[in-house]
Amino acid sequence: MLKLIVQRLLALLPLLFIVSVLTFSFTSLLPSDPVDLIIGDTGTEEQYEIVRERLGLNEPIHLRYLQWLGRAVQGDLGSSFFNSVSVMGAVMQRLPVTLSLTAMSALIAIVIGVAAGVAAALRPRSWVDRFATIGATFGQAVPNFWFGLILVAIFAVNLRWFPATGFTPLTESPWEWLRSVILPSIALGTSSSAAIARQVRSAMVGVLQQDYIRAARAQGLSTRRIIFRHALTNALVPVVAVLSFQITVLLGGALIVEQVFAINGLGTLAIAAVRQQDIPLLQGLVLVMVGLVVLVQLATDIIYGLLNPKARPS
Amino acid sequence: MTIKSDNLSGAVRHRARWRPNGAQIITGMATGFLVLLAFLAVFADWVSPYDPLRQNLMEALQGPSAAHWLGTDDLGRDVLSRLIHGCRIAAIAAAEATTIAVLLGVPIGLFIGYRGGMWDWVVMRIVEAVVSIPGIMVAIVIIAILGAGLHRAMIALGILFSTSFLRLARGVVLAEREEVYVRSARVVGASDNRILIRHIFPNIAPPLIVQVTLTVGAVLLAEAGLSFIGLGVQPPQASWGTMLNTAAAFMDFNWFLSVPPGVAIILTVLSVNLLGDVLRDSIGRGIAVAVTPDKPAQRFAPEPVAAEPVSLARRADEILRVENLQVMVPARSGGEVPVITDLSLSIARGETLGLVGESGSGKTLTGLAILGLLATGVRTTHGSIMLNGRDLRELTRHQMEQVRGNEAAMVFQDPTTSLNPAFTVGSQISEVLRMKQSLTRKQAWNRTVELIDRVGIPRPEERARAYPHELSGGMAQRVAIARALSCNPSLLIADEPTTALDVTVQQEILDLFRDLQAEFGMAILFVTHDLAVAADICDRIAVMYAGEMVEMADVDPLFAEPRHPYTSGLLSAMPHASDRMPPLPTIRGNVPRPGDWPVGCRFSDRCDYKIAACDARIPLVGTERQVRCIRACEFGMEAAS
Repeated sequence: MLKLIVQRLLALLPLLFIVSVLTFSFTSLLPSDPVDLIIGDTGTEEQYEIVRERLGLNEPIHLRYLQWLGRAVQGDLGSSFFNSVSVMGAVMQRLPVTLSLTAMSALIAIVIGVAAGVAAALRPRSWVDRFATIGATFGQAVPNFWFGLILVAIFAVNLRWFPATGFTPLTESPWEWLRSVILPSIALGTSSSAAIARQVRSAMVGVLQQDYIRAARAQGLSTRRIIFRHALTNALVPVVAVLSFQITVLLGGALIVEQVFAINGLGTLAIAAVRQQDIPLLQGLVLVMVGLVVLVQLATDIIYGLLNPKARPS
Repeated sequence: MTIKSDNLSGAVRHRARWRPNGAQIITGMATGFLVLLAFLAVFADWVSPYDPLRQNLMEALQGPSAAHWLGTDDLGRDVLSRLIHGCRIAAIAAAEATTIAVLLGVPIGLFIGYRGGMWDWVVMRIVEAVVSIPGIMVAIVIIAILGAGLHRAMIALGILFSTSFLRLARGVVLAEREEVYVRSARVVGASDNRILIRHIFPNIAPPLIVQVTLTVGAVLLAEAGLSFIGLGVQPPQASWGTMLNTAAAFMDFNWFLSVPPGVAIILTVLSVNLLGDVLRDSIGRGIAVAVTPDKPAQRFAPEPVAAEPVSLARRADEILRVENLQVMVPARSGGEVPVITDLSLSIARGETLGLVGESGSGKTLTGLAILGLLATGVRTTHGSIMLNGRDLRELTRHQMEQVRGNEAAMVFQDPTTSLNPAFTVGSQISEVLRMKQSLTRKQAWNRTVELIDRVGIPRPEERARAYPHELSGGMAQRVAIARALSCNPSLLIADEPTTALDVTVQQEILDLFRDLQAEFGMAILFVTHDLAVAADICDRIAVMYAGEMVEMADVDPLFAEPRHPYTSGLLSAMPHASDRMPPLPTIRGNVPRPGDWPVGCRFSDRCDYKIAACDARIPLVGTERQVRCIRACEFGMEAAS
């Protein structure tokens, strides 16, 4: 088990490295001069040079990269050009918000997707099956933020079941937290659930035709046990393989859906960073997001290994 | 099989009639919608009732009315006019971003695919890194560099989506590069560029077209998203995304504002995606192969045959007694066709009955029918299956679950696929023991190790923890046998258990069956097409042909003096070590398919001894030794002489 984790982690580290190089070099292409942003129009030539020196901008770019990376590894992503707040602090403050949305929508997508997929596979051409197919087709076409707007119109504005805007931290009140994330998570997770349902369905239909399912029936095991233990374990293997991609999509979608519900997460931070040309903040955001993606990838790799003995290092 | 070809012939018939089906109607609607959009995009200025930018604060946030069909927004602008002008933005956005993505992705993909080496490695690592970042974040970073606005945002999306075109082009080049014709072109002396353009580009076109439609849909959604968060199209310009942005701000006052742009986006993306699906299907299928549907065979009506009296001798220690079993499968032309008719057999305690015949004779189906494991749609319609004095056909599903494993078990042909790849082999045996015999985990595990040891696997404790893919075929079959015998069933059905195994292993497995039978005393139904194997392991042999039994006898008499021409044919088609030289005689023709059976003797079409009387239904005669042939007496004598 440990071997599997270490092996997967080592495979993912180069990805983080390349992303850091890309992030750093691309954000250095930003058109605005950070020094001007800091000292404003009124600064003197002298002040300009001092700030420039302080930011280390006189040094060659590869040295600046190494310094930035060295600090980043220690958890220091520099401070915002705009208000000198630590980037790590700002990102970490917003992270639980976006993470709540992503995790809850992933949960919704997986639970509904797997349940609907299994139901559709057991009864091909039943209403569940048709619904999953139509749902997946629409899921690809409906913008999740628009779906969010409609949910707000129905459940927040008209029925007043849920708050239309805002976010309550989990630590403050779990119940209010749930109420605040449920609508955005449904808006975000529904299309993924349809996509997952379709994958589960096709995998499950294939697995149910396998010899080992018939052999398990020949052994007199109960139908329920055969479906949920023998078939589902195998059917989830290909689904888990693409799950990290789905979760990456959800993470990106969360940035936009946050805006519908006026939730201050990483999305709001990213939009502000773009508008203010805040280089360190953008760099930090990308790096943290890729870090999350890598963690998700690692988790799904491990689950994949657990479900599929052939994928384990021997 | 039947069902698949059924679909094919159905599709062919549909096409021949030229009546649009559901899919064609939807495709037509999607095309019509996109044509309408294109029209609105081009003629927006003439079509829209108002200037999309003209404000009228007196009429702000109105609902739909005769003057404003879709109402007005917060500044009193006409929603319908803005929606129509939004078509133009959507068209520009999709065209721009997709063009950039293609122009950027395809050449780079072609280049790195063709060059390979370092270029390929570096570019692909960068692509992997970009793909691992949520797409919208990539777009946000690029917009940070370029600035917001329609065209800049579309450049950002173009760069983002170029990765998929890059990978597509590279994949095609890698596949085509090694194709013989590319190599031969190089030998002839064509330049690299010529090879790329002349040979590789035509192969990229089909998947490229499909990818373009997918990208157009994704671009429309991404543009809407970016405009919605204020990084795409900038107000006051009317795009569906910015309209939704406005709608979000005035949700409390007029929620209807969010409906028109949302529906426009959904219908557009849906239409593009549906057309993409149709394109993918038609391109993916390639050149349509002419499918000639099998003509509905049925020379003779497949009427259910009236049950014949069972002449099978009754024995005291019978474990299994099957009488007049009939199995039906769904027919391609609707209705049902019999695949097994009037099958009667019995197996006594400690006895092994061989069920032999060519593929398609219904022997495996017989085994599955006894255990109630027939595929959906296939069913037993007549007869009884008495196991230990109980008719299995009358049991409920739950009672049948109890019987399987405890009273009757089955070993399948391919051991590597009949064990679940996700669990250790030991856990699959102990699971059965826990579920069927209510043993505790510990008891079940100990018994599992004993069983694995009993079927002759060395180091059983260790092997119990192995996964199926870590075992050889022979080893896996031993495990499967151990699992089948774990609850000490009185009947074991073995379906070609040695066929998938290496010849050297076959004998070991047969010996194992013999040993285990001596120890446990179960009755065995041994299904095989291999007469040599049957001769080795069986006490009695039942020969099946086209869904019915044609001969049954003890092994020695059957081999010495076959009474049915089919049995005789099978025997003479058996290879003998001694006479290798003369080519093996074969039985001409094939087993007729279910529904295609002659009414009389089903073997008559392939029989050298056929007479006019063979066209009538032939009964199975005899009690100890049974045969279904009216010329059995003459034939038996002739063959013996």
